Amino acid sequence: MDSLTVAFAALTDPTRRSILARLAGGPATVSDIAGPFRMSQQAVSKHIAYLQRARLIEKHRRGRRHFCRLRAAPIKQVADWAELYRVQWERKFDRLDALLKELQSERT
Amino acid sequence: MTKSPKTPPEAAGFEMTMTRTFAAPRELVFRAWTDPALLAKWWGPTGFSVTMKRWIPRQGGTILLDMNAPYGAVYPMGGKFVEVKPPEKIVFESAALDPQGKAIFEILNSVALADLGGKTRLTLHARVLRMRPEARQFLKGQKAGWSQSLDRLEALVIAMSS
Repeated sequence: MDSLTVAFAALTDPTRRSILARLAGGPATVSDIAGPFRMSQQAVSKHIAYLQRARLIEKHRRGRRHFCRLRAAPIKQVADWAELYRVQWERKFDRLDALLKELQSERT
Repeated sequence: MTKSPKTPPEAAGFEMTMTRTFAAPRELVFRAWTDPALLAKWWGPTGFSVTMKRWIPRQGGTILLDMNAPYGAVYPMGGKFVEVKPPEKIVFESAALDPQGKAIFEILNSVALADLGGKTRLTLHARVLRMRPEARQFLKGQKAGWSQSLDRLEALVIAMSS
């Protein structure tokens, strides 16, 4: 699968989205990340492993502790894609707006 | 993640919500979405023409149209209506189709129209339902760097946003 497909699959889960949101504030350890979730650290670790396989996050060591952090490039891919998608709709709505004005001026 | 104020942070690709207010009564906006001849006038990216084949706005009704790019490419789009509630709600699945008519991407689109007394607020919620491995063909240039594959990405988004 291409990386964007993998990224989308990873993002379909709300827990994984929360983990990414948490990491957007800076690197964190697995136990830091697991803290706010009502699930075992093991379950959170599975989501982290999924995000790692999707290459959305990476782990690195600082002394004895393992930190997770976002990988910027794949996140940017998804964001760029979303932005293009949004822009396409904006343009479409511009044309709809023009058409509605035209239809209303015909009426009067 | 997307910084645009119009797109909430969870909209990073797999789902998004947009709102837009139109200076037209709700019935008219609803008609622009449900009359195939009117829809063909605004659907599709700038410079494209639409060949309308099927746009049957009732539950289970079929969607089939071609978007014709100014540079000659044709992007077929298929789908079906999930719910149509005049004059306030339209829910439909849309899919970018490959030349064999197989879905590459499938999106669930929900359109809600709120009556603001002569004006209409439209809220669009779109969610990626399925993404087939065929989506890869649009993204082959990715190895050469993301920016170089933007043309393909745009083509993909054009096909999807329909």
